[in-house]
Amino acid sequence: MTRLFTYFYMLFLYAPIGLIVLFSFHSSPSLSLPFEGVSLRWYEAIFNSYDFRTSLYNSLIVAGASAVVTTILGTLSALALMRMKGRAKSTFAFLNFAPIAMPGLFLGIALVILFSLINLPRSLVTITIGHTLFTLPFFVESVRSRLEYFDLSFEEAARDLGASPIKAFWLVTLPIIGPTIAGAAILTVALSLDEFLITVFVTGTDTTLPLLILSMIRRAVDPSINAASVIMLGMTIGIIGVAGLVMTMRRRRIELERNGE
Amino acid sequence: MNVINKSNVAPGSKDVSDSAPKGNTDKKRFTPFLLAGAPFTFLLIFFVIPAILLLISSFWLSKSFTMIPAATIANYARALGASGFYDSLWISMQNGFWTALLSTVLSAPVAYYIAYKTRSNTILYLALVSWFSSYLVRVYAWRTILGSTGVINSTLMQWGLIDTPIEWIVFNKFAVVITLVHIMLPFTLLLLVSGLRDVKKDYLEACADLGGSGYVALRKVIIPMAHKSIVSSFMFTFVLAAADYVTPQLLGGRDAMTTGLLIANQFRTVGNWPLGAAMAYILLLVFMMVYGALLLFLRTVNLAPGKRYHD
Repeated sequence: MTRLFTYFYMLFLYAPIGLIVLFSFHSSPSLSLPFEGVSLRWYEAIFNSYDFRTSLYNSLIVAGASAVVTTILGTLSALALMRMKGRAKSTFAFLNFAPIAMPGLFLGIALVILFSLINLPRSLVTITIGHTLFTLPFFVESVRSRLEYFDLSFEEAARDLGASPIKAFWLVTLPIIGPTIAGAAILTVALSLDEFLITVFVTGTDTTLPLLILSMIRRAVDPSINAASVIMLGMTIGIIGVAGLVMTMRRRRIELERNGE
Repeated sequence: MNVINKSNVAPGSKDVSDSAPKGNTDKKRFTPFLLAGAPFTFLLIFFVIPAILLLISSFWLSKSFTMIPAATIANYARALGASGFYDSLWISMQNGFWTALLSTVLSAPVAYYIAYKTRSNTILYLALVSWFSSYLVRVYAWRTILGSTGVINSTLMQWGLIDTPIEWIVFNKFAVVITLVHIMLPFTLLLLVSGLRDVKKDYLEACADLGGSGYVALRKVIIPMAHKSIVSSFMFTFVLAAADYVTPQLLGGRDAMTTGLLIANQFRTVGNWPLGAAMAYILLLVFMMVYGALLLFLRTVNLAPGKRYHD
Protein backbone atom coordinates (compact mmCIF):
# COMPACT_ATOMS: atom_id res chain seq x y z
CA MET A 1 0.00 0.00 0.00
CA THR A 2 2.84 2.35 0.81
CA ARG A 3 4.27 1.49 -2.62
CA LEU A 4 1.10 2.61 -4.38
CA PHE A 5 1.03 5.78 -2.28
CA THR A 6 4.66 6.43 -3.20
CA TYR A 7 3.81 6.23 -6.90
CA PHE A 8 0.99 8.74 -6.48
CA TYR A 9 3.33 10.97 -4.51
CA MET A 10 5.88 10.95 -7.32
CA LEU A 11 3.13 11.58 -9.86
CA PHE A 12 2.01 14.60 -7.85
CA LEU A 13 5.61 15.88 -7.77
CA TYR A 14 6.21 15.51 -11.47
CA ALA A 15 2.84 16.06 -13.17
CA PRO A 16 2.84 19.88 -12.91
CA ILE A 17 6.40 20.03 -14.19
CA GLY A 18 5.52 17.67 -17.04
CA LEU A 19 2.59 19.88 -17.93
CA ILE A 20 4.84 22.92 -18.33
CA VAL A 21 7.21 20.95 -20.55
CA LEU A 22 4.24 19.77 -22.62
CA PHE A 23 2.79 23.26 -23.13
CA SER A 24 6.18 24.71 -24.01
CA PHE A 25 5.92 22.68 -27.23
CA HIS A 26 2.27 23.55 -27.88
CA SER A 27 1.68 25.14 -31.25
CA SER A 28 -1.26 27.20 -30.01
CA PRO A 29 -1.13 29.74 -27.19
CA SER A 30 -4.06 28.13 -25.41
CA LEU A 31 -3.35 26.26 -22.20
CA SER A 32 -6.02 23.66 -22.59
CA LEU A 33 -6.32 20.03 -23.59
CA PRO A 34 -6.61 18.49 -26.16
CA PHE A 35 -3.17 19.15 -27.47
CA GLU A 36 -3.27 20.80 -30.88
CA GLY A 37 0.20 20.27 -32.30
CA VAL A 38 3.91 20.48 -31.67
CA SER A 39 6.03 23.53 -32.44
CA LEU A 40 9.17 25.25 -31.28
CA ARG A 41 7.77 28.77 -31.76
CA TRP A 42 7.92 29.68 -28.05
CA TYR A 43 11.57 28.68 -27.86
CA GLU A 44 12.27 30.79 -30.92
CA ALA A 45 10.43 33.71 -29.37
CA ILE A 46 12.31 33.47 -26.09
CA PHE A 47 15.74 33.13 -27.69
CA ASN A 48 15.05 36.17 -29.83
CA SER A 49 14.27 38.19 -26.73
CA TYR A 50 17.09 40.50 -25.69
CA ASP A 51 15.88 40.49 -22.06
CA PHE A 52 16.07 36.73 -21.96
CA ARG A 53 19.61 36.53 -23.28
CA THR A 54 20.84 39.27 -20.93
CA SER A 55 19.26 37.69 -17.88
CA LEU A 56 20.53 34.24 -18.83
CA TYR A 57 24.02 35.71 -19.16
CA ASN A 58 23.72 37.47 -15.78
CA SER A 59 22.49 34.29 -14.14
CA LEU A 60 25.40 32.29 -15.50
CA ILE A 61 27.94 34.91 -14.36
CA VAL A 62 26.46 35.03 -10.85
CA ALA A 63 26.18 31.24 -10.63
CA GLY A 64 29.80 30.81 -11.72
CA ALA A 65 31.10 33.48 -9.36
CA SER A 66 29.12 32.31 -6.34
CA ALA A 67 30.12 28.69 -7.03
CA VAL A 68 33.80 29.68 -6.99
CA VAL A 69 33.49 31.74 -3.78
CA THR A 70 31.27 29.13 -2.09
CA THR A 71 33.64 26.31 -3.01
CA ILE A 72 36.66 28.10 -1.55
CA LEU A 73 34.91 29.25 1.64
CA GLY A 74 32.96 26.02 2.04
CA THR A 75 36.02 23.81 1.64
CA LEU A 76 37.88 25.88 4.23
CA SER A 77 34.91 25.55 6.60
CA ALA A 78 34.70 21.80 6.10
CA LEU A 79 38.45 21.34 6.57
CA ALA A 80 38.29 23.42 9.74
CA LEU A 81 35.31 21.48 11.09
CA MET A 82 37.15 18.17 10.54
CA ARG A 83 39.88 19.40 12.85
CA MET A 84 37.80 21.21 15.46
CA LYS A 85 36.57 19.76 18.71
CA GLY A 86 34.07 20.50 21.42
CA ARG A 87 32.36 23.83 21.76
CA ALA A 88 34.35 25.61 19.03
CA LYS A 89 33.18 22.95 16.57
CA SER A 90 29.52 23.12 17.50
CA THR A 91 29.53 26.93 17.45
CA PHE A 92 31.21 27.11 14.06
CA ALA A 93 28.98 24.35 12.66
CA PHE A 94 25.93 26.26 13.87
CA LEU A 95 27.15 29.49 12.24
CA ASN A 96 27.70 27.66 8.97
CA PHE A 97 24.27 26.10 9.13
CA ALA A 98 22.20 29.04 10.42
CA PRO A 99 21.53 30.84 7.11
CA ILE A 100 19.53 27.83 5.83
CA ALA A 101 17.16 28.15 8.77
CA MET A 102 16.39 31.76 7.84
CA PRO A 103 13.82 32.45 5.14
CA GLY A 104 15.33 34.13 2.06
CA LEU A 105 13.23 37.20 2.81
CA PHE A 106 15.11 37.83 6.08
CA LEU A 107 18.53 37.34 4.49
CA GLY A 108 17.58 39.67 1.65
CA ILE A 109 16.35 42.57 3.79
CA ALA A 110 19.24 42.24 6.25
CA LEU A 111 21.76 42.36 3.39
CA VAL A 112 20.09 45.33 1.73
CA ILE A 113 20.35 47.31 4.97
CA LEU A 114 24.05 46.47 5.23
CA PHE A 115 24.70 47.42 1.60
CA SER A 116 22.93 50.74 1.92
CA LEU A 117 24.69 51.62 5.20
CA ILE A 118 28.15 50.93 3.75
CA ASN A 119 27.14 52.57 0.45
CA LEU A 120 27.83 49.51 -1.65
CA PRO A 121 25.95 50.00 -4.94
CA ARG A 122 23.73 47.06 -5.82
CA SER A 123 25.03 45.08 -8.77
CA LEU A 124 25.94 41.57 -9.83
CA VAL A 125 28.53 41.67 -7.01
CA THR A 126 25.87 42.13 -4.32
CA ILE A 127 23.78 39.40 -5.95
CA THR A 128 26.80 37.08 -5.81
CA ILE A 129 27.26 37.86 -2.11
CA GLY A 130 23.60 37.08 -1.46
CA HIS A 131 23.77 33.82 -3.38
CA THR A 132 26.98 32.77 -1.63
CA LEU A 133 25.32 33.32 1.75
CA PHE A 134 22.49 31.07 0.60
CA THR A 135 24.61 28.33 -1.01
CA LEU A 136 27.43 28.14 1.57
CA PRO A 137 25.38 26.22 4.19
CA PHE A 138 24.21 23.71 1.57
CA PHE A 139 27.78 23.23 0.39
CA VAL A 140 29.16 22.72 3.91
CA GLU A 141 26.36 20.32 4.89
CA SER A 142 26.71 18.17 1.79
CA VAL A 143 30.52 18.04 1.98
CA ARG A 144 30.76 17.54 5.74
CA SER A 145 28.81 14.30 5.98
CA ARG A 146 31.27 12.68 3.57
CA LEU A 147 34.38 14.34 4.98
CA GLU A 148 33.64 12.94 8.44
CA TYR A 149 35.13 9.68 7.13
CA PHE A 150 38.37 11.27 5.95
CA ASP A 151 41.29 9.97 7.95
CA LEU A 152 43.41 12.88 9.12
CA SER A 153 46.36 10.56 9.72
CA PHE A 154 47.02 10.46 5.95
CA GLU A 155 47.75 14.16 6.12
CA GLU A 156 49.85 13.74 9.24
CA ALA A 157 51.89 11.05 7.52
CA ALA A 158 52.65 13.43 4.66
CA ARG A 159 53.63 16.12 7.17
CA ASP A 160 55.90 13.71 9.05
CA LEU A 161 57.61 12.86 5.77
CA GLY A 162 58.44 16.54 5.36
CA ALA A 163 55.64 17.95 3.20
CA SER A 164 54.58 21.53 3.84
CA PRO A 165 50.91 21.98 4.92
CA ILE A 166 50.00 23.23 1.45
CA LYS A 167 51.83 20.40 -0.28
CA ALA A 168 50.20 17.83 2.00
CA PHE A 169 46.79 19.30 1.16
CA TRP A 170 47.53 19.39 -2.56
CA LEU A 171 49.00 15.89 -2.86
CA VAL A 172 47.05 13.97 -0.23
CA THR A 173 43.86 15.62 0.97
CA LEU A 174 42.60 17.19 -2.25
CA PRO A 175 42.74 14.04 -4.41
CA ILE A 176 40.68 12.22 -1.79
CA ILE A 177 38.06 14.90 -1.09
CA GLY A 178 38.15 16.38 -4.62
CA PRO A 179 35.16 14.56 -6.16
CA THR A 180 32.96 15.35 -3.15
CA ILE A 181 33.87 19.01 -3.46
CA ALA A 182 33.28 18.99 -7.21
CA GLY A 183 29.83 17.47 -6.70
CA ALA A 184 28.91 20.08 -4.11
CA ALA A 185 30.25 22.89 -6.30
CA ILE A 186 28.01 21.80 -9.17
CA LEU A 187 25.08 21.71 -6.76
CA THR A 188 25.91 25.31 -5.84
CA VAL A 189 25.57 26.36 -9.47
CA ALA A 190 22.09 24.82 -9.61
CA LEU A 191 21.02 26.51 -6.37
CA SER A 192 22.29 29.89 -7.54
CA LEU A 193 20.55 29.63 -10.92
CA ASP A 194 17.24 29.15 -9.08
CA GLU A 195 17.61 31.71 -6.31
CA PHE A 196 15.34 34.73 -6.36
CA LEU A 197 13.94 35.33 -2.85
CA ILE A 198 17.17 37.10 -1.86
CA THR A 199 17.98 38.38 -5.35
CA VAL A 200 14.81 40.48 -5.44
CA PHE A 201 16.29 42.68 -2.69
CA VAL A 202 19.99 42.76 -3.49
CA THR A 203 19.71 43.46 -7.21
CA GLY A 204 20.12 46.93 -8.64
CA THR A 205 19.05 47.18 -12.26
CA ASP A 206 20.32 43.74 -13.27
CA THR A 207 17.89 40.96 -14.08
CA THR A 208 18.58 37.30 -13.53
CA LEU A 209 16.65 34.49 -15.21
CA PRO A 210 14.29 33.81 -12.25
CA LEU A 211 13.64 37.57 -11.90
CA LEU A 212 12.74 37.74 -15.60
CA ILE A 213 10.38 34.78 -15.29
CA LEU A 214 8.83 36.35 -12.18
CA SER A 215 8.17 39.59 -14.02
CA MET A 216 6.79 37.67 -17.03
CA ILE A 217 4.39 35.78 -14.77
CA ARG A 218 3.25 39.04 -13.18
CA ARG A 219 2.74 40.79 -16.49
CA ALA A 220 0.56 38.46 -18.50
CA VAL A 221 -0.10 34.95 -19.63
CA ASP A 222 2.58 34.68 -22.25
CA PRO A 223 3.19 31.12 -23.49
CA SER A 224 6.89 31.82 -23.96
CA ILE A 225 7.14 31.68 -20.11
CA ASN A 226 6.72 27.93 -20.57
CA ALA A 227 9.75 27.80 -22.85
CA ALA A 228 11.81 29.98 -20.51
CA SER A 229 10.79 27.77 -17.57
CA VAL A 230 11.74 24.59 -19.42
CA ILE A 231 15.15 26.04 -20.29
CA MET A 232 15.70 26.86 -16.62
CA LEU A 233 14.47 23.42 -15.55
CA GLY A 234 16.70 21.76 -18.12
CA MET A 235 19.73 23.66 -16.85
CA THR A 236 19.18 22.82 -13.18
CA ILE A 237 18.21 19.20 -13.75
CA GLY A 238 21.10 18.76 -16.18
CA ILE A 239 23.48 20.20 -13.60
CA ILE A 240 22.13 17.90 -10.87
CA GLY A 241 22.59 14.99 -13.25
CA VAL A 242 26.24 15.93 -13.78
CA ALA A 243 26.73 16.23 -10.00
CA GLY A 244 25.21 12.79 -9.52
CA LEU A 245 27.46 11.39 -12.24
CA VAL A 246 30.57 12.87 -10.61
CA MET A 247 29.59 11.24 -7.31
CA THR A 248 28.87 7.83 -8.90
CA MET A 249 32.11 7.88 -10.88
CA ARG A 250 33.95 8.50 -7.65
CA ARG A 251 32.25 5.57 -5.95
CA ARG A 252 33.02 3.31 -8.90
CA ARG A 253 36.64 4.34 -8.89
CA ILE A 254 36.93 3.55 -5.19
CA GLU A 255 35.36 0.15 -5.82
CA LEU A 256 37.79 -0.54 -8.64
CA GLU A 257 40.71 0.43 -6.46
CA ARG A 258 39.46 -1.82 -3.68
CA ASN A 259 39.10 -4.75 -6.04
CA GLY A 260 42.58 -4.12 -7.41
CA GLU A 261 44.19 -4.48 -4.01
CA MET B 1 19.46 18.99 13.10
CA ASN B 2 21.38 15.76 13.09
CA VAL B 3 24.65 17.27 12.11
CA ILE B 4 24.68 19.74 14.96
CA ASN B 5 23.80 17.03 17.44
CA LYS B 6 26.59 14.81 16.26
CA SER B 7 29.14 17.40 17.13
CA ASN B 8 27.93 17.25 20.70
CA VAL B 9 28.47 13.54 21.05
CA ALA B 10 31.88 13.60 22.61
CA PRO B 11 33.07 17.08 23.44
CA GLY B 12 36.78 16.90 24.07
CA SER B 13 36.71 13.18 24.74
CA LYS B 14 39.90 12.66 22.78
CA ASP B 15 42.81 14.69 24.01
CA VAL B 16 44.62 16.56 21.27
CA SER B 17 48.06 15.52 22.48
CA ASP B 18 47.11 11.84 22.21
CA SER B 19 46.73 11.75 18.48
CA ALA B 20 49.17 14.43 17.43
CA PRO B 21 52.87 13.78 17.01
CA LYS B 22 55.03 15.44 19.61
CA GLY B 23 56.28 18.93 18.89
CA ASN B 24 53.51 19.49 16.38
CA THR B 25 50.85 20.03 19.01
CA ASP B 26 50.77 23.81 19.11
CA LYS B 27 50.64 24.13 15.37
CA LYS B 28 47.82 21.62 15.13
CA ARG B 29 45.73 23.46 17.62
CA PHE B 30 45.89 26.62 15.55
CA THR B 31 45.27 25.20 12.07
CA PRO B 32 41.48 24.81 12.32
CA PHE B 33 41.10 28.43 13.36
CA LEU B 34 43.40 29.51 10.56
CA LEU B 35 41.28 27.57 8.08
CA ALA B 36 38.05 28.87 9.56
CA GLY B 37 39.22 32.48 9.26
CA ALA B 38 37.91 33.32 5.79
CA PRO B 39 34.47 31.66 6.00
CA PHE B 40 34.06 32.99 9.53
CA THR B 41 34.78 36.52 8.35
CA PHE B 42 32.35 36.15 5.45
CA LEU B 43 29.56 34.88 7.71
CA LEU B 44 30.31 37.57 10.28
CA ILE B 45 30.13 40.42 7.76
CA PHE B 46 27.25 39.17 5.64
CA PHE B 47 25.15 37.21 8.13
CA VAL B 48 25.75 38.14 11.77
CA ILE B 49 26.31 41.87 11.30
CA PRO B 50 23.35 42.34 8.89
CA ALA B 51 21.10 40.51 11.37
CA ILE B 52 22.24 42.90 14.11
CA LEU B 53 21.84 45.92 11.81
CA LEU B 54 18.33 44.73 10.98
CA LEU B 55 17.53 44.65 14.71
CA ILE B 56 19.09 48.07 15.32
CA SER B 57 17.35 49.67 12.36
CA SER B 58 14.00 48.40 13.60
CA PHE B 59 14.32 51.10 16.29
CA TRP B 60 15.08 53.81 13.71
CA LEU B 61 12.79 56.15 11.84
CA SER B 62 12.29 56.52 8.14
CA LYS B 63 11.66 59.25 5.66
CA SER B 64 11.09 58.18 2.04
CA PHE B 65 13.64 55.37 1.65
CA THR B 66 16.23 56.97 3.97
CA MET B 67 16.69 55.72 7.50
CA ILE B 68 17.13 58.14 10.36
CA PRO B 69 18.96 56.78 13.42
CA ALA B 70 16.79 56.94 16.52
CA ALA B 71 15.86 54.87 19.54
CA THR B 72 12.15 54.46 19.38
CA ILE B 73 9.70 51.60 19.59
CA ALA B 74 7.35 53.48 17.26
CA ASN B 75 7.70 50.85 14.50
CA TYR B 76 6.77 48.00 16.82
CA ALA B 77 3.86 50.02 18.20
CA ARG B 78 2.70 50.84 14.69
CA ALA B 79 2.88 47.27 13.45
CA LEU B 80 1.18 45.83 16.53
CA GLY B 81 -1.43 48.59 16.53
CA ALA B 82 -2.66 47.90 13.00
CA SER B 83 -5.37 45.29 12.46
CA GLY B 84 -4.00 44.63 8.96
CA PHE B 85 -0.82 43.28 10.53
CA TYR B 86 -2.74 40.72 12.58
CA ASP B 87 -4.74 39.71 9.51
CA SER B 88 -1.50 39.14 7.58
CA LEU B 89 -0.04 37.20 10.50
CA TRP B 90 -3.13 35.00 10.62
CA ILE B 91 -2.89 34.23 6.89
CA SER B 92 0.85 33.50 7.22
CA MET B 93 0.31 31.17 10.16
CA GLN B 94 -2.43 29.29 8.31
CA ASN B 95 -0.23 28.93 5.22
CA GLY B 96 2.63 27.74 7.39
CA PHE B 97 0.56 25.35 9.50
CA TRP B 98 -1.31 23.62 6.69
CA THR B 99 1.74 23.41 4.45
CA ALA B 100 3.90 21.96 7.23
CA LEU B 101 1.23 19.52 8.40
CA LEU B 102 0.32 18.26 4.92
CA SER B 103 3.93 18.03 3.71
CA THR B 104 5.04 16.09 6.78
CA VAL B 105 2.02 13.77 6.86
CA LEU B 106 2.11 13.06 3.11
CA SER B 107 5.87 12.44 3.09
CA ALA B 108 5.77 10.09 6.09
CA PRO B 109 4.46 6.96 4.26
CA VAL B 110 6.90 7.56 1.41
CA ALA B 111 9.77 7.94 3.87
CA TYR B 112 8.64 4.70 5.51
CA TYR B 113 8.61 2.97 2.12
CA ILE B 114 12.09 4.25 1.26
CA ALA B 115 13.57 3.42 4.67
CA TYR B 116 12.14 -0.09 5.16
CA LYS B 117 10.52 -1.46 2.02
CA THR B 118 12.91 -0.79 -0.81
CA ARG B 119 16.64 -1.10 -1.11
CA SER B 120 17.08 1.33 -3.97
CA ASN B 121 17.52 5.05 -3.56
CA THR B 122 15.92 5.89 -6.92
CA ILE B 123 12.75 7.36 -5.45
CA LEU B 124 14.66 9.55 -3.03
CA TYR B 125 16.92 10.81 -5.82
CA LEU B 126 13.96 11.51 -8.09
CA ALA B 127 12.24 13.46 -5.33
CA LEU B 128 15.41 15.44 -4.69
CA VAL B 129 15.77 16.29 -8.37
CA SER B 130 12.27 17.75 -8.27
CA TRP B 131 13.31 19.74 -5.19
CA PHE B 132 16.05 21.38 -7.22
CA SER B 133 13.79 22.05 -10.16
CA SER B 134 12.99 25.69 -9.91
CA TYR B 135 10.66 26.92 -7.19
CA LEU B 136 9.36 29.62 -9.48
CA VAL B 137 8.61 27.23 -12.34
CA ARG B 138 6.50 25.15 -9.98
CA VAL B 139 4.58 28.21 -8.77
CA TYR B 140 3.98 29.04 -12.41
CA ALA B 141 2.89 25.46 -13.12
CA TRP B 142 0.20 25.66 -10.46
CA ARG B 143 -0.92 29.01 -11.80
CA THR B 144 -1.21 27.35 -15.19
CA ILE B 145 -3.25 24.49 -13.74
CA LEU B 146 -5.55 26.40 -11.40
CA GLY B 147 -5.82 29.83 -13.08
CA SER B 148 -9.07 31.18 -14.48
CA THR B 149 -7.68 30.63 -17.99
CA GLY B 150 -5.74 27.62 -16.73
CA VAL B 151 -5.76 23.99 -17.66
CA ILE B 152 -8.66 22.85 -15.47
CA ASN B 153 -10.98 25.73 -16.29
CA SER B 154 -10.31 25.99 -20.02
CA THR B 155 -10.49 22.24 -20.52
CA LEU B 156 -13.78 22.02 -18.67
CA MET B 157 -15.10 24.94 -20.71
CA GLN B 158 -13.97 23.37 -23.96
CA TRP B 159 -15.76 20.16 -23.10
CA GLY B 160 -18.85 22.24 -22.41
CA LEU B 161 -19.12 21.13 -18.80
CA ILE B 162 -19.06 24.70 -17.52
CA ASP B 163 -19.76 28.08 -19.12
CA THR B 164 -17.69 30.38 -16.93
CA PRO B 165 -14.43 29.64 -15.11
CA ILE B 166 -14.88 28.18 -11.64
CA GLU B 167 -13.52 30.94 -9.47
CA TRP B 168 -13.12 29.02 -6.23
CA ILE B 169 -10.26 26.88 -7.47
CA VAL B 170 -8.09 29.84 -8.42
CA PHE B 171 -6.36 32.41 -6.33
CA ASN B 172 -7.16 31.53 -2.77
CA LYS B 173 -5.67 29.94 0.31
CA PHE B 174 -6.15 26.45 -1.11
CA ALA B 175 -4.14 27.29 -4.21
CA VAL B 176 -1.33 28.75 -2.08
CA VAL B 177 -1.19 25.75 0.25
CA ILE B 178 -1.25 23.13 -2.53
CA THR B 179 1.59 24.95 -4.31
CA LEU B 180 3.66 25.32 -1.15
CA VAL B 181 3.08 21.65 -0.29
CA HIS B 182 4.27 20.70 -3.76
CA ILE B 183 7.39 22.80 -3.26
CA MET B 184 8.18 21.55 0.28
CA LEU B 185 7.42 17.81 -0.10
CA PRO B 186 10.91 16.71 -1.26
CA PHE B 187 12.55 18.62 1.56
CA THR B 188 10.34 17.04 4.26
CA LEU B 189 10.91 13.65 2.64
CA LEU B 190 14.69 14.04 2.89
CA LEU B 191 14.52 14.99 6.58
CA LEU B 192 12.08 12.19 7.44
CA VAL B 193 14.12 9.53 5.61
CA SER B 194 17.26 10.57 7.46
CA GLY B 195 15.27 10.39 10.70
CA LEU B 196 13.88 6.92 9.97
CA ARG B 197 17.33 5.60 9.07
CA ASP B 198 18.18 6.01 12.78
CA VAL B 199 15.28 3.74 13.74
CA LYS B 200 16.75 0.32 12.99
CA LYS B 201 14.47 -2.33 11.57
CA ASP B 202 15.40 -4.54 14.56
CA TYR B 203 13.44 -2.26 16.87
CA LEU B 204 10.33 -2.61 14.72
CA GLU B 205 10.76 -6.39 14.62
CA ALA B 206 11.22 -6.46 18.39
CA CYS B 207 8.03 -4.47 18.76
CA ALA B 208 6.15 -6.90 16.50
CA ASP B 209 7.58 -9.93 18.34
CA LEU B 210 6.27 -8.52 21.59
CA GLY B 211 2.82 -8.33 20.08
CA GLY B 212 2.75 -4.65 19.17
CA SER B 213 0.46 -3.69 16.30
CA GLY B 214 1.45 -1.32 13.53
CA TYR B 215 -0.17 1.53 15.44
CA VAL B 216 1.79 0.70 18.59
CA ALA B 217 5.04 0.59 16.57
CA LEU B 218 4.28 4.03 15.17
CA ARG B 219 3.16 5.54 18.47
CA LYS B 220 5.73 3.94 20.79
CA VAL B 221 8.77 3.33 18.59
CA ILE B 222 8.95 5.27 15.33
CA ILE B 223 7.63 8.69 16.32
CA PRO B 224 9.45 8.96 19.68
CA MET B 225 12.72 7.84 18.12
CA ALA B 226 12.46 9.98 15.01
CA HIS B 227 10.81 12.94 16.69
CA LYS B 228 13.76 15.25 16.08
CA SER B 229 13.56 14.91 12.33
CA ILE B 230 9.76 15.17 12.45
CA VAL B 231 10.02 18.42 14.40
CA SER B 232 12.68 19.84 12.08
CA SER B 233 10.69 18.81 9.01
CA PHE B 234 7.59 20.52 10.38
CA MET B 235 9.36 23.65 11.61
CA PHE B 236 11.48 24.24 8.50
CA THR B 237 8.45 23.90 6.29
CA PHE B 238 6.39 26.07 8.60
CA VAL B 239 8.93 28.89 8.61
CA LEU B 240 9.65 28.78 4.88
CA ALA B 241 5.95 28.65 3.97
CA ALA B 242 4.81 31.27 6.48
CA ALA B 243 7.48 33.76 5.47
CA ASP B 244 6.94 33.24 1.73
CA TYR B 245 6.00 36.34 -0.16
CA VAL B 246 5.98 35.20 -3.79
CA THR B 247 3.58 32.24 -3.87
CA PRO B 248 0.79 34.09 -1.99
CA GLN B 249 1.26 37.06 -4.27
CA LEU B 250 0.99 35.00 -7.44
CA LEU B 251 -1.73 32.61 -6.29
CA GLY B 252 -3.33 34.00 -3.16
CA GLY B 253 -5.87 36.41 -4.62
CA ARG B 254 -7.63 38.08 -1.71
CA ASP B 255 -5.52 36.13 0.80
CA ALA B 256 -2.26 37.35 -0.72
CA MET B 257 -1.24 39.81 1.98
CA THR B 258 0.94 37.67 4.20
CA THR B 259 3.34 39.17 6.71
CA GLY B 260 6.17 38.20 4.37
CA LEU B 261 4.66 40.23 1.54
CA LEU B 262 3.96 43.11 3.95
CA ILE B 263 7.65 43.12 4.93
CA ALA B 264 8.85 42.77 1.32
CA ASN B 265 6.65 45.71 0.31
CA GLN B 266 8.15 47.93 3.02
CA PHE B 267 11.51 47.35 1.38
CA ARG B 268 10.54 47.43 -2.28
CA THR B 269 7.66 49.86 -2.74
CA VAL B 270 6.70 51.68 0.46
CA GLY B 271 10.27 52.46 1.45
CA ASN B 272 9.81 52.30 5.22
CA TRP B 273 12.69 49.97 6.01
CA PRO B 274 12.66 50.36 9.82
CA LEU B 275 8.97 49.37 9.92
CA GLY B 276 9.74 46.34 7.75
CA ALA B 277 12.63 45.41 10.03
CA ALA B 278 10.38 45.62 13.11
CA MET B 279 7.79 43.39 11.41
CA ALA B 280 10.51 40.89 10.51
CA TYR B 281 11.60 40.61 14.14
CA ILE B 282 8.01 40.25 15.33
CA LEU B 283 7.56 37.43 12.80
CA LEU B 284 10.78 35.80 13.99
CA LEU B 285 9.51 35.94 17.57
CA VAL B 286 6.23 34.34 16.49
CA PHE B 287 8.20 31.54 14.79
CA MET B 288 10.06 30.89 18.03
CA MET B 289 6.79 30.78 19.95
CA VAL B 290 5.37 28.27 17.46
CA TYR B 291 8.51 26.15 17.87
CA GLY B 292 8.16 26.24 21.66
CA ALA B 293 4.47 25.38 21.44
CA LEU B 294 5.20 22.43 19.13
CA LEU B 295 7.82 21.00 21.50
CA LEU B 296 5.49 21.47 24.46
CA PHE B 297 2.69 19.74 22.57
CA LEU B 298 4.82 16.72 21.65
CA ARG B 299 6.05 16.40 25.27
CA THR B 300 2.52 16.59 26.64
CA VAL B 301 1.19 13.86 24.38
CA ASN B 302 4.32 11.88 25.20
CA LEU B 303 5.68 11.68 21.67
CA ALA B 304 8.96 13.43 22.37
CA PRO B 305 10.92 11.73 25.10
CA GLY B 306 13.28 13.81 27.17
CA LYS B 307 15.97 11.16 26.97
CA ARG B 308 17.49 9.59 23.87
CA TYR B 309 17.07 5.93 23.12
CA HIS B 310 19.92 5.63 20.68
CA ASP B 311 23.38 7.09 20.25
